[in-house]
Amino acid sequence: MTAHSIVENGLLVLVVLACWLGAIGMWRMREPMQALHYLSLPATLGAFALAIAVFLAEGANQAFWKTLLIACVLFATNSVVAHATARSFRARDLGHWEPLDGDPFEFVRDTEEK
Amino acid sequence: MNPWLIAGMSVSATLVPCAAMCLRGSPERRLVGLEMTSLMVTLAMVMFAVGYGRTPFVDIPLALAILSFGGGLVFARFLGKHL
Repeated sequence: MTAHSIVENGLLVLVVLACWLGAIGMWRMREPMQALHYLSLPATLGAFALAIAVFLAEGANQAFWKTLLIACVLFATNSVVAHATARSFRARDLGHWEPLDGDPFEFVRDTEEK
Repeated sequence: MNPWLIAGMSVSATLVPCAAMCLRGSPERRLVGLEMTSLMVTLAMVMFAVGYGRTPFVDIPLALAILSFGGGLVFARFLGKHL
């Protein structure tokens, strides 16, 4: 077994671990808002580790560039989808998603609201 | 059987907790489960394509990654306003 294949297999193990940690973490969380945070683990660490593993296995060919594009798409869109989903949870609870005075977190109000 | 296929099967096995999220509980939990499922299937399909030596099929997870973005947004919008 060469150093090349050890690194490749290590990256595959990293992808599997990222996916399992994300899935188990999501499953174990009580609140949907908490579970939502676990999407980022496979979407960032898993996807980019997979792209590097494909590069080691196949070289800089079409499969690698497509896998890198997949990783970039997942990285960019995951934050947008997570934000939209969290906003929809809040809108579902309150009827709107704007911050309230008693909310236990900091927020910036629109200047028009002041 | 090569490491890519083993890793692909391992990632595919995460569909069990994803299915548990999608099939039980509140609509919010189900939506999170659906979004995680699309992520896992995307990564597993890349692994299977490389593992079977059919790298042109990486186009399919690429299409899934792009389309699941739109799907997630539509479901989120629908959940917040109508469900």
